[in-house]
Amino acid sequence: MAEPHASGALVVARDLTISGPEGDLVHGISFALERGGALGIVGESGSGKSLTCRSLLGILPPGVAVTGGSIELDERDVTNLSYRDWQGIRGTEIGAVFQDPGSYLNPGIPVGKQLTEVLRVKLGMSRREVSAKAIESLGALGLRAPEIVSLQYPHELSGGMLQRVLIAIALAESPRVLIADEPTTALDVTVQAEVLDVLADLRERLDLAVILVSHDLAVVAQVCTEIVVLKDGMIVEAGPTARVLGDPQHEYTRLLVDNHARYGIERYLSPELADA
Amino acid sequence: MFRRAIRSPLGATSAAIIAVVVVLSVLGPLIAPYDPLAQDAAHILASPSAAHWLGTDYVGRDVLSRLLDGSPLSLLSAAEAVGIAFALGVTPGLLSVYLGRVFEWISLRVIDALITLPFLVFAIAMTALLGNGLQQAMFAVGILIAPAFYRVTRAAALSAAGSQYVEAARLAGASPLWVLRTHLWGKVAPSVAVTTANSMAAGLVIVSSLTFLGIGVQPPAPTWGGILADDLGYLFQQPFGPLYPTIIIMVIVGALNGFADALRDTSGITGHVRLLGRRRSRPRRSAAINPALEVTNG
Amino acid sequence: MTALARPVALPSRSRVRVSRTLRGIALWVIRTIAIVVPVFLFATFVTYLLGAASGLSPAGLKLGDAATTADVARVNAQLGLDQPLIVRYGTWLGQILHGNLGTSWFNDLPVAPQLFERLGISVSIAGYALIIGVVFGFALGLLAAVRRGTWVDRVITAFATLISTLPPFVVAIVLIIVFCITLRWLPSGGYVSPTVNVGEWLTLITLPAIALSLDTVADLARQLRTGLVAAYDDHYVTGAIVRGFSRRRVLFVHVLRNGAGPALSVLGLRAPALIGGAVVTESIFGMEGFGRFGSESALRGDVPVVQGVLVVAIVLVLVFNLVVNALLARLLPASRRGI
Repeated sequence: MAEPHASGALVVARDLTISGPEGDLVHGISFALERGGALGIVGESGSGKSLTCRSLLGILPPGVAVTGGSIELDERDVTNLSYRDWQGIRGTEIGAVFQDPGSYLNPGIPVGKQLTEVLRVKLGMSRREVSAKAIESLGALGLRAPEIVSLQYPHELSGGMLQRVLIAIALAESPRVLIADEPTTALDVTVQAEVLDVLADLRERLDLAVILVSHDLAVVAQVCTEIVVLKDGMIVEAGPTARVLGDPQHEYTRLLVDNHARYGIERYLSPELADA
Repeated sequence: MFRRAIRSPLGATSAAIIAVVVVLSVLGPLIAPYDPLAQDAAHILASPSAAHWLGTDYVGRDVLSRLLDGSPLSLLSAAEAVGIAFALGVTPGLLSVYLGRVFEWISLRVIDALITLPFLVFAIAMTALLGNGLQQAMFAVGILIAPAFYRVTRAAALSAAGSQYVEAARLAGASPLWVLRTHLWGKVAPSVAVTTANSMAAGLVIVSSLTFLGIGVQPPAPTWGGILADDLGYLFQQPFGPLYPTIIIMVIVGALNGFADALRDTSGITGHVRLLGRRRSRPRRSAAINPALEVTNG
Repeated sequence: MTALARPVALPSRSRVRVSRTLRGIALWVIRTIAIVVPVFLFATFVTYLLGAASGLSPAGLKLGDAATTADVARVNAQLGLDQPLIVRYGTWLGQILHGNLGTSWFNDLPVAPQLFERLGISVSIAGYALIIGVVFGFALGLLAAVRRGTWVDRVITAFATLISTLPPFVVAIVLIIVFCITLRWLPSGGYVSPTVNVGEWLTLITLPAIALSLDTVADLARQLRTGLVAAYDDHYVTGAIVRGFSRRRVLFVHVLRNGAGPALSVLGLRAPALIGGAVVTESIFGMEGFGRFGSESALRGDVPVVQGVLVVAIVLVLVFNLVVNALLARLLPASRRGI
């Protein structure tokens, strides 16, 4: 894992503390993500992993705020930006996909139009350019018949298709970081694997840095090279995936790994990681 | 349900006002200081004084006495309308969820049709054509308020009927009546209570609108709307005249709506209704032959 | 799995779009007709029944108290009143569909021309009130939702609550006291057709329209605020925010489209009140409108006029609701399935 203070990292959290009305929810955690790297944040619900990734997007829920430490995106401090300042960062530098992808798409607008909206509004492309570009990028994510999919409404598509659409939208402005908050949790097991493949493939092709948040060690292990284990808003263990999974130091990590051993987590470890 | 609503500040205030108005109405004719019909040529359009707290009207009748005497009629008429609406709305609303598609479709169309009828014109027509009395008027108003009860009951029953514990109870072989009593009524009752309070407020406004127009009551008998209409003619001589019945109507209507809001807030009801067609009448889930299949498709 | 389902041959994108749209519209039209026709039939039947149940007949009205039973029977037979109820309803409905609303029992003149003459007044007021209601209701609701939780929101909510406790005739009276008696800005009654003098027409219908619209303003503002505030909590708003859209775009393109549904539905429900509520407004402002025509005829026992008024009101309400529903279907395509 990169040193939190190392310069040149794409995303750096230093002593990040997030508080709600009833006290601290995340207690001074630090991590860093290199260009093209893949960081997994693992923890049970309530561990603060979702809040952490929301703070990276400036979308903490009302009443919850960053109260200590800092967040840097590409060496720019984004800890306390206004909505207007965030506008220039969201989408263009950092994209995001979420659990239950259908709910993150507007139910009243065909999905293709939601993709072209980003291209038109944020990239200033003309109406004629965008529709071909939209179909192309939907097709690139392995969606079959993208010209038909782009005309459909979210309620007409399956979870796996919706997550691909959401990924296409998140990447439309070519951000260098993609935050994926439980991207596969609501999906069938086979579709889960497909979506993770898509993420792994994108990392390679686009040199995209990924922060993957999940409660599921196996999911994280499939994509990420580094892992941070969160519990009760604190980092209990952090390091390269192979080390954390192969030689867990903390009792909680061991518990997570043991639970997974039964389901054959080794399967998800790529050979080079297993050797490391 | 009511206890929680009354504990909120809004609910407590509203309930207190409603209680005071009801008590005053019951005692109204008894505690009225004067005969509401007694004219006093010496004191016409008098301003409020110790003798006449709210002054007198254009023939010297005591305004306070007339308001007190008129209140039982206004409240009872509104209550009658709401009672009729309740009876006509709640039962079909519950049945529409259970008696199958045909009854559901027919009842929905009947309700849609009732909603398209303009309230006041219909009430006036019914009153005038079926004999000029407030009873007929309130029957008409009751029929026209019934759709609100139907829709609210149906919406609440639908959402409860789609919930898993009801499905589980039904799969376990519970009788519809038992499900209704133990599971559904608790869900439906808060919505119906809110609608009752709101309808009561609407009913009062309609009663006063009708009596304001002189429909349903014979002239000398005092009603809130009638007093208002009378005083309006003497606006230049006694500008405060129309104020009193207005304030009474506003306060009681506000209290009823406030109580409805308090009930709604404390029992966590959401949702809205809509005229002419609506989303799928049942959750699609119930269409699945085997519920287990649906679960795996997530 | 549907994700893998693939059409054998891919039709062109534009053809797909056209056929999808057409199919959606056709389905919507069919479903709407399936609802509107029975509703119209039932509502007109209730209207007809009302007249029939009144036991009033032109015979009684025309012949006076001195008429013998035989006389009454003869007139009734002339008018076809001795037929079974359902047959008479059918005949009556047939006439109505041909634009014939019958003849007034009171002055023996055809109902339709008398009605449409007065309809202009009511439609002027109701239409004006609708415009005021929509403009101010939407503006206030939008403002309250955007500034939710602030004093602006609380003031608007309090205003809407206060308005909804006011009976419409009280509003009319207050307006007359303020604008006609105290300030003397506007006339307190009467009516001039816009074909005669547009300026005068506007000044005359302004106060009645405001009085009639306040309920709609309050209702709409409250519903829109509730709908928008709920929509702001939805995930797709977060989705739009993380794409880096401006606040304005998030509100107008994403939130409004989904949060305005309940407010639009409420607008549909307001139609009968706008048309029927005009009775009170018209009588306060001394206008010979169509609602007042209906209520005065009712008091005279003039059944055909009452039925005509109700039928015209039903048609107006249905048409208005069709427009609202078409808007809703356009706004929220998911709802097209269920209509």
